[in-house]
This record gives sequence, structure tokens and C-alpha cells, in this order.
Amino acid sequence: MSNLLELTWRLLRGGGRRGMLGSSLMVAAVAVSTALLLFAVAVNFAFAGRADRGAWRNPVAATGTPRAVEAVRTEFARNRLITVVHVAVLVPGVAPPRGLARLPAPGEVLMSPALAKDPSAAGRFPGKVAGTIGDEALVHPGELVAVVGHAPADPEVNTRWKGDGRLGASPARIAGFTGRPTPDSGAYRALALVASVLMVVPLLVFGGAAARLTVARRDRRLASLRLVGATPGQVVAMTVAEAMITAFAGAVLGLVLYAVAIPPLSQVEISGGTWFASDVWPGALPVAAVLAAVPLLVGLSAMIGLRRVVVSPLGVARRQTPPAMRFVRVVALLATLAVVPGLGFGAAMGTVAVVLGMAFLALNLAGPWVVGLIGRITARTARRPASLLAGRRLVDDPRSAWRTVSGVALTGFVAGFIGLLIPSASLTVKDDVVTAWLLQDIRTGTVVVLMVSFLVAIVSAGITAASSVLDRRQNYALLRLAGTPLEVLDRARSLETLIPLTIMGGGSIATGMFCAAPFARLAMSATGVLTLLACVIAGFAGVIGAGALSRPLLRSVTTDPAPRPD
Amino acid sequence: MSSHDVLEGRALRKSFGSTVALAGVDLMIHRGEAVAIMGPSGSGKSTLLHCLAGIMKPDSGEVHLLGERIDTLGERGRSLLRRTRFGFVFQFGQLLPELPADENVALPLMLGDVSRVRAVQQARSWFGPLGLSGMEGRRPGELSGGQAQRVAIARALVTRPAVVFADEPTGALDQATGHDTMRLLVEATRHNDASLVVVTHDPQVARWCDRVVEVRDGLIVTGPDHSEPVVPDRSGHFVPDPHTPAIAQARVVAQPPGAPAGSYAPGWPAGER
Repeated sequence: MSNLLELTWRLLRGGGRRGMLGSSLMVAAVAVSTALLLFAVAVNFAFAGRADRGAWRNPVAATGTPRAVEAVRTEFARNRLITVVHVAVLVPGVAPPRGLARLPAPGEVLMSPALAKDPSAAGRFPGKVAGTIGDEALVHPGELVAVVGHAPADPEVNTRWKGDGRLGASPARIAGFTGRPTPDSGAYRALALVASVLMVVPLLVFGGAAARLTVARRDRRLASLRLVGATPGQVVAMTVAEAMITAFAGAVLGLVLYAVAIPPLSQVEISGGTWFASDVWPGALPVAAVLAAVPLLVGLSAMIGLRRVVVSPLGVARRQTPPAMRFVRVVALLATLAVVPGLGFGAAMGTVAVVLGMAFLALNLAGPWVVGLIGRITARTARRPASLLAGRRLVDDPRSAWRTVSGVALTGFVAGFIGLLIPSASLTVKDDVVTAWLLQDIRTGTVVVLMVSFLVAIVSAGITAASSVLDRRQNYALLRLAGTPLEVLDRARSLETLIPLTIMGGGSIATGMFCAAPFARLAMSATGVLTLLACVIAGFAGVIGAGALSRPLLRSVTTDPAPRPD
Repeated sequence: MSSHDVLEGRALRKSFGSTVALAGVDLMIHRGEAVAIMGPSGSGKSTLLHCLAGIMKPDSGEVHLLGERIDTLGERGRSLLRRTRFGFVFQFGQLLPELPADENVALPLMLGDVSRVRAVQQARSWFGPLGLSGMEGRRPGELSGGQAQRVAIARALVTRPAVVFADEPTGALDQATGHDTMRLLVEATRHNDASLVVVTHDPQVARWCDRVVEVRDGLIVTGPDHSEPVVPDRSGHFVPDPHTPAIAQARVVAQPPGAPAGSYAPGWPAGER
């Protein structure tokens, strides 16, 4: 086994300049995937953290002997919200909430750092300032919170709260300050979960594609290894080891990338506040899990990609018309979509996330089939060499063509899904501050999810374009040698992407909109249309740009006159 | 340059770093003749082919095609030249794996603005004479090595080139298939009035040609005018053939010893230049 590992390592290092380029492409792909995966994971921890830290302000009536009274109000100071928690101790010795050193005595007040720094707001609380509220009791760093101490008979702890239930709570006799997360924070956590699903699925698809690209490039070498008598097990072990070593390097780089991104990320405002750095850091255990899971998934994907090579040593040396993909892929998509109209606001968020994930995966399953169909039509109707080449290539390997566009297509699904849900900004703070926040937050979340999806899509398009040039360098070089203009090759390459992109992108947006329809309370808003339009333009521009980046690579592999295979 | 002369290289020199690949080579290719360029690995024979075919620019010297200088053309001009006036047959890997055989052959025509229907029609007319009937719709992966090389020959000739360059065209084939392929290559180019330049290290391949040019250390070692016919002896060295007059020498290759004798009746597609 150690021999095998050593050989793997030598092959990895001895791959030459282009081998190294291929490996670096994969490292880059895995790094971006890992960073975004960490983000998708962190989002959930971040909202969970907020929910936990805010729980003490949502009093739960005591079932046994009450030990304190807690009432919550919201006050406005120049459009900023101040959360005021009125507390009266009934039984001395009751433990304060986490983040508070002690409970204020009657006439005392505790302030959050942000409130203490704002004299005009702090002036509303005439009591003696007895300390500050620690981060553990604050939902976000800039939150304005005051905890005011009272005697049990004071009106503040005996008057019912008549305002919005999400902004305050009537006095409650409590046994302790554990409280429970507010329903609102629960809704945010559910939305965060949906956002994670929307981000993770394309990431997994992308990561798997990256792993399979390496395998494709190694095809010939692996077949040679098989020919000289390596057992299937050895070949699998070597390739998987190589993929996993590369993936681990990428995962570590991704962690560094994510760490660098934490300060700007924590400045994204949700519910009127930014984030503690510890919110955006998912914690040692989840990070370790991601670092372990990424290479494992890449290894698994590599193993799946290897099946063909391992079955026969000659399997990849001779190319045959691949068996047509079965229509069952489309049936899977249709079946999943058939479930969607049954969903609605009544459905549990977990169910929605599962169906959404399924629709996503089914779209990914149906994608190659549709790409193959597009290819057959393109090839049949082609009049120019470039479109003929593009069409035949789509028919030949619809999966790899799908990989190039899947990122953008899946983003199209996301855009279509949330495009319908983006509410227009017609509500103002005056009407209903919490609803306005929620709408604002959905908008922010949408933009974040779309940005992530786009990053994935564009990086994936760039990497697949570059590695497809590397894979086909001999063909390209010989074609150019025989006088085929570089422009024709380049046009064929971009058609190969743009034709499926146009059709699949449009199809995915429609599918996404269909899936969102049961949840869309509001008609499609102008904001939604604009966001969607921006997505389409950005997607096309990004993919064209990413493809153009590999043009110098195409030029360099074709100017090297090596008519014999290297 | 007479009308009999097609391609001429004059004083060609080419170096890669400190390695001299061509040290001043003169070579004339006549109309319709088949010339084998032989030599050991690293002798510069492939570089010579690349310079003559406009793939590479020589450091100094000139290349003339039908009296026109071509080594000074830009990349675009040389591309066009390679596509229209030259044909290429390589060892393998030149056919696009995703295109069926007939479209592979039609591709150079389509690049030259021939309509797809006509290009494919013209391409298919080569399949019968090359013994490829019924293979039109097969993809390169579904063809044998010899069949794939015959498709490559069709692709090289479909544009009616003046010169066909072949770099180890039988390198990946067994001996019998190699013979067969060389016979077809020589006959097809000759029938189409094209010249053939074959780079090879295989004396059996060279025997199919009218003339053998041997390259060693970047120089041609068989005499400056190359009019002297040479044949490889049993040890692979080239010796002037004392028994055969030059003209007969050129023709004897049409049926070398050991070549498969077939009832092969060529019916090359009529074409326009």
C-alpha cells in the first residue's frame, strides 16, 4: 500500500507542466467549493447562534414557583430600535441570563455597549448604570439593549404589552432566564436552511465534476497501468488517493479563503444588525467535518468516474458511441415537479427543503439528457463547421457539456425560485418594522445566495473550459496543424457552451419559478424581474468571460507542433 | 522552377536552442512523385517536414510552392495554405472522435465554405475507392487502425491538395495493414496528381516511394540533387541501387515484394482542383 502511495505521489509530481496545471485547476475548484461549503454550513450556525442568544428575551411562564418577572418592550430612538427588558426579582438568588454578570436591582440599569455609546438613547434610562451586557446576551454586535431593574409592584412589570407580539412580551412570571427562541428566529433558521440547500447542491455537483475531470485526464495513463497488469483495486486506490491528496490541499486552501472572507461577511446586515466573527465561524468540529468530507466526496466521485476504466483496460483507448441516456432521467424530474403543487405555506420547512433539494438533483439528472437532445438537433441542422463540431461534441459527451453549464443552469433555478419570492420594497419601517426587516432580509439573502451560485457557476465554467482544452489538446493541435483556423475551434468551443446554456438556463429558470409558485404570496415584483434579468446577463457574461480566459491556453496547446501524441 | 516542380526547400536551417535540427537542407519535390524522408530519431526529418508544410518557420532559407514563396506568410496565410494546398496524414489521433467518418472527411471542405450537403457528398465518394464502403457513419472509435488511416487519407485528399505530408502514417499499424495503407496512400495521391512526402523510419514504408531522402544530423546525406535513387539494404542503410535504372526504380515500387496482391480496382472520385 505504501508502495502504491509512493507511486501515486511520483505520478502526481511527475505530471509535467500541464499535469501540474490540471492539478492546480482542481485545487482551485476544490478551494472555492470548500470555502463556499463552509459558508453554507456557517449560515446555519450563525442563525442558530442568534436564536440562542436572543432566547432569554422570550420569557416562558414558570410551571412551578416563579422566581422573577420579565417584560420586554421595544422603543424607537430616531428609527433605531431599543429592546428594553424589565426585570423584577421575586426570589433572591435567581441566575442571570448568560452574558449578564448579575441582574439589575430596582433602580439600576444594564446597557449593551452600543447603547452605552449613544448618549441620546442612553438618556432614556435614568437609573444607575450597573454594568454592560455581554456579547452572549446580544443578538448582534450593534444591538441596543437595556435591562432595567424593578420592584415586583412597579407598573413596568405589571402592564400588558399591547404592541406587536414580535416586538415585545407581556410580563411573565418565570423560573429562570433560559427562555426559548422566538418564532421569528425559527423562521430565519428555516430560511437559512433553504438557502444552504440552494447553495450546497450546485457545490456538490461542481465538486464532483472537478473530481471527474481529473479522472478523465488520467484515463489514458490509467488504462496503461491496467494494461501492464495493475489490478482494478490498485488503479482505483491510486487514482482515488491522487484525487484525495489534491482535494485535501484544495480544502485547506478553501479554509484559508473562508477565514480571509470572515471580516467582510460579518458585515452583511440581517435583521438590522451585523454579525459576531464567532457567528460566521462555524466552529472547530464542523470545520474539521468539512475538511474531512470534501476529500472523501471527491474520492467517491473519482471512484464513480473510474468505473469505465477499471472494467476494461481498452475501455477508454477506443471510443465508441456512448449508449443513449435513458428518458427515465426526465421522468425523475417530472415526478419531482409533480409533487411541488402539493406544497404550500402549510408544509413543514424540512419537507420543503427536501423537495427543493430533490428538484435540484432531478434537474441535474435531466440536464445531460436534454443537452444530448440539443446536441442531436444542433448537429443535424448545422451548416457551418463550428456548429457541426459543437453539436457532435454535445452528442458525444453530454455529461461533460452539462458540467460546464450546470452551474449557471442551477443558478437559473435558484434565480427563478427566489425571483418570484423577492418582495418589492413597498413597506416602510413605520408600517411594520419586523415585516419590513423580513422582506429586506429575504432580499439580502437572495442576493447572497445568487452571488454564491454565480461564483460557483463562473468558476465551474472557467475550470471545465480550461480542462476540456487540456483533455483535447492533441485533437486541437492536429486540427490546427492541418490548417483549421483557431477561430473555428474557438467558436466551436463557445457554441458548445452557449447553445446548451441558453436552453438549459431558460429551462432552469422556468423550473425554479414553477417550484416557487406555491410559496409566492405576492405577484412577481419589479425587483424580482430586475434581479432575474441581472442574473441572466451576469451568467452569460461570466461564462463567456470564463471561456475566453482559456483561449490563451488553446493557443498555447495548438502552437506546439507535436503531431505525435505526447 | 519548372512546372514539373511543386515544392522546394532551399538552404533550410532550424535550431531549437543549441540543438541544430536542420543545418542547411535543399530539397525539391516534383509533381506526382512520392518521396520518403528517412533517418534516425532526432535527425531532423520531422522538422524538415514541418518547415516544408508551413507548420514551422525555418530560421533561414526559403520554401517555395509552385514558384511562390510560402515561408514568409503569416500564421493565417500558412493556415489557409495547409488547409487548401496540403493534406496531412499522421500516425493517429487526427480524426475527431465525436464526428462520424464521413463528416471527418468533409470537415476541410466545410472549412473552405463548401455547403454541408455537398461536402459530405464529396467526402463519401472517397469511401468506395478506399475500401471503406459502409463505414461512412462510423465514428473513429468504431474503426480499426487501418480503416481510420484510410479515412485520414480521404481527409487529406478531399481538398485536392498539391502535396500530401505523412508523418509515420503506418507507425501504429501491423505490417500487413501498413502495406495496404501505404499502397492506398501512394496510389491515391498519384492518381490525384498530388505529390507525397512521407517521414518514416521504416524501410518497408520507404520502398513504396519513388525516392528516398536520408537525413542525418540535420543534413541530407544522399547527395545534393537527390536524383540518385537509393534503396535501403537489409541493415537499413541506403545504398544506390546498382541494378535498376532510375526510371524503372521509380515504378517498381508500385508492387514491392511482399505487398498484398489484391484485385484492387481504383475508381478515384473525379474532382476539381
